Amino acid sequence: MSTVCCIDLCRFFVQGEQTVRALDHVNLEIDKREFVCLSGPSGSGKTTLLNAIGGLDKPTSGEVWVAGQRIDGLDKADLANMRLHHIGFVFQAYNLIPVLTARENVEFVMQVQGVTASERRDRSMALLKEVGLEDMEERRPAQLSGGQQQRVAVARAIVSNPAMVLADEPTANLDSVSAEHLMGLFVNLNEKHQTTFIISTHDQRVMSYARRLIGMVDGRIVTDEIR
Amino acid sequence: MITNVTLSLAWRNLWRHPRRTWLTVGAMVFSNILLVFLISLQFGMYRVMYENSLRLFTGHLQVQAVGYIDEPRMRLTIPDAAGLAARLRDAMPGNDVAARGLAFALASSADRSYGVQIVGVQPEHEPRVSSLPGLVKRGRFLDNAGMQEAVIGSVLARNLRVDLGHELTLFGTGRDGSFAAGIVHIVGILDSGSAEIDRSFVQISLADFQDIFAMQGHGHSVVLMTSDLFNLKAATAKVEAIIESGESVVHDWNALLPGLKQSVQADMVSAWFMYAVLIVLVAFSVLNTQLMSVLDRTREFGVVMALGLSPARLGRLVLLETAMMAGLGLLLGVAVGSGVVLYFYHYGLTFPGLEAMTAQFNLPGRLYPSASFASLMLGPTVVFLACLAAAIYPAAKLLRMEPVAAMRAV
Amino acid sequence: MTRMPVTILFRLAWRNLWRNYRRTLIMLGAITVGVWAMIFMTALMRGMVDDMVKTAVRSLPGHVQIHHPRFRDDPSIANSLPPPGEVLVDALSSDQVVGWAARVRVPAVVTSERDTRGTTLVGIDPEAESGLSFIADDMIEGRFLQSFEDDGLVVGRKMLDNLETKLGRRVVVMSQDAENEIIDRGFRVVGVFESKLETTEERFIFTGRKTVQSMLNMNEDVSEIAVVGSSYRDVSNLLRLQQVLGPEQELLPWYELDIYLGSMLTMMDGFVLIWIIVIFLALSFGLVNTLVMAVFERVREIGLMQALGMRPAMILLQILLETLLLLLVGLAAGNLLAILTLAALSDGIDLSIVSEAMQMMGVANVLYPSLQIGDIVLADVIVIVLGLIAGLFPAWRAARYQPVQALTTV
Repeated sequence: MSTVCCIDLCRFFVQGEQTVRALDHVNLEIDKREFVCLSGPSGSGKTTLLNAIGGLDKPTSGEVWVAGQRIDGLDKADLANMRLHHIGFVFQAYNLIPVLTARENVEFVMQVQGVTASERRDRSMALLKEVGLEDMEERRPAQLSGGQQQRVAVARAIVSNPAMVLADEPTANLDSVSAEHLMGLFVNLNEKHQTTFIISTHDQRVMSYARRLIGMVDGRIVTDEIR
Repeated sequence: MITNVTLSLAWRNLWRHPRRTWLTVGAMVFSNILLVFLISLQFGMYRVMYENSLRLFTGHLQVQAVGYIDEPRMRLTIPDAAGLAARLRDAMPGNDVAARGLAFALASSADRSYGVQIVGVQPEHEPRVSSLPGLVKRGRFLDNAGMQEAVIGSVLARNLRVDLGHELTLFGTGRDGSFAAGIVHIVGILDSGSAEIDRSFVQISLADFQDIFAMQGHGHSVVLMTSDLFNLKAATAKVEAIIESGESVVHDWNALLPGLKQSVQADMVSAWFMYAVLIVLVAFSVLNTQLMSVLDRTREFGVVMALGLSPARLGRLVLLETAMMAGLGLLLGVAVGSGVVLYFYHYGLTFPGLEAMTAQFNLPGRLYPSASFASLMLGPTVVFLACLAAAIYPAAKLLRMEPVAAMRAV
Repeated sequence: MTRMPVTILFRLAWRNLWRNYRRTLIMLGAITVGVWAMIFMTALMRGMVDDMVKTAVRSLPGHVQIHHPRFRDDPSIANSLPPPGEVLVDALSSDQVVGWAARVRVPAVVTSERDTRGTTLVGIDPEAESGLSFIADDMIEGRFLQSFEDDGLVVGRKMLDNLETKLGRRVVVMSQDAENEIIDRGFRVVGVFESKLETTEERFIFTGRKTVQSMLNMNEDVSEIAVVGSSYRDVSNLLRLQQVLGPEQELLPWYELDIYLGSMLTMMDGFVLIWIIVIFLALSFGLVNTLVMAVFERVREIGLMQALGMRPAMILLQILLETLLLLLVGLAAGNLLAILTLAALSDGIDLSIVSEAMQMMGVANVLYPSLQIGDIVLADVIVIVLGLIAGLFPAWRAARYQPVQALTTV
């Protein structure tokens, strides 16, 4: 069974008198443990595709299946629940809740899932250690660098063992050292936890880590190569 | 479901903009202090108003002849009033009972004459049902029946140009319509603060009254003071069982002095109008703050929703933040307000012009708030609820928030 | 660019106000409600006091009253005045005086075949009284007095009930003459009047002035001369009559004749001011909050303006202008709303459910709100002045930002 499956997926936006075809009949299947990069110029539909897969956005037509469940028709509450249990997110910026410490940010999702306090603590500490932030668990986001903030976001994304992690331009605001570090972390986690990663980017350094590289232009998949 | 982290998350969110939060809490505290103080003052005032008004003369219950309440006529009497009073006293221990006669007459001194209200009282029982005997400022109250003594109001004494020891001649109409006359000498002058009483009251003993006005043992009312002026059902029923029905009836203070309860009600309505305005203004403040706080955090809410938090849950978070803020306002408001109440509870409140006003309602020139759980908490509780209600709109905005659009918001 | 034309500042302020229209609308809502409450409540209370004073002044003293200096302490015939002399009559015919009447007023006892009541016998000249006192308009039965020599008696409805007598029957009125002799005289009841206040129906009985004068052997003497001017609020013109009075004549305005009413009016002025300020304070928290948020959001922009050469004073001015515009729009809406609600209520507010309480306070059952320009101006001026003072703090903060620091703040 594939982790993600998109069938004839379309997403049109009406902008003034024009209709923008952000996704134009996309068909895509991504299996477990894959490490996929979506590449393409800005406006090619990468983010829209990620949002559709993550249940953040409703497609105009077509089907989206995640972990064997069709999600394009779910209501808000069910979508929220699906994201909570099956998907981890890492965004470009503003990823963390500013009033919570690094550890509390990581624990946050588990909290909502109803995981016990001691288990939450153990898992969050272990993950923060894994992402290299073991001494910074009591810092608030404002006291962390951009790279460190993204690593906290990664820890939060995988803490509840989601089937996949969706990352939208995760390195866009990072210097090259931090970006390399973050990608290394992704690869590591992909191998160790067998989590599917789907990363949208137009950064060459990021693409070099990809084991499957999907190229998009004008809302269509134009290349799809396994490396 | 509210977990520890939700609580601490809400609490920390409050202090992201300390100035904003303090200003909003400040509005609550300001209103709460005012409400705590004013409501306590109101409660205190009403209690004294009831007590003083009723204790002055009316009492809690009165037995009267049927129809006397509407048309107080000389011949609408209760036979053997003193005897009825004695029977009630025996049957209802713990209550104070006294019989009275009431008549209008012309009172003449050596140089002046005025129309007056003559009240025949039982000197041994009257002090327990009325505060007037205690308000005799010069001389003394009546102490024996049948001694042709009188206690008169201070203004009346001035108008009649009389003093202690002087004689008064009373002319009036007896119960049977005959000409009634009698001579009494003044043993006391009372100063009640009530213009009506000070200007027109002459109290004599019931025995003398019955003599002068040919009452043949009859009286006009039997007054009862019970232990609780707000719970008269049982007492009324008991009195009804004892009096001979048909000729006499029992009236409670609300029937005897209908203006009293209505004064309180009218005051209550106008007071609550003012409170409502204050509360609405606080609610506006909260609405503004919480709406801004939600709009400021649009991106953050977008991210959290993307992580899988349902909008309903975030709405509850906003309500929880509001509840915390309102709780803080309530605590501070009640604390400071109680301090203010306590201060005036001890020292009383007065301001220029108050005395002339309060005398109209038989209140003293210094007002004391009453401090009870209800008087302290009523206002702030309403403010608290109003604040929560005001946060419903900002919280509901979250329900319509789309994560993707929210994350893109500036 | 150190000096910006005011029009640009205004345009900037106005547009800035609507950048966050929700916040501005909420704040405007709060100001509107607050200002409405200020004006509305004040008008209600003014209406109430107005009614109290007008009723009291009509049923008794006039706006100012001339009497014997000892008359107030000892309202008997001994303290009468000679009839007004030429000089006084001259002074009373000035433009300031709307009407005046000389009256005889003596304490009396009235007796029917059934009952006796104390009251005040007032001898009047019906022509002089028209428009001055109340009774002529409130006759419900029989006729009013026709001349100052009329020997009929006009009594209140309540008094008629108390005496158990009827129109056309005879009653006996007892009083004292100048030698302190008790005089009684039979009168025929020719008319019955009604008053908004029951006590008035009992307190006075009326007949021709000459009738009382000859009954009590007082020649042409009178007890009091009541004078009415154009408004009870300003009697200073009438007080000038003092200049033509002799030593045995005293002139007192109504607020000294009835201290309760006088202090009521003074207290009401104080209360209106306190009410307006309290409402403003409740508003001020939200106002400051809104302005602080507005400034906080625009830190970068303010830095940019400073970098472009705008002086701090201009920035201060701009924020104050924004405050002023906000206040003005809110005031306009609040004033309009208040005027509309009061216009809708101009037929009076029916308070008959608490009528007994209204009687106790000396107010009629229908309350007519009284909107006074002075009160509106007071409320508006207070809101603008205090509002600008509240706006100073955020404005001053904005003006103090350092350009570079402001530009780099996110």
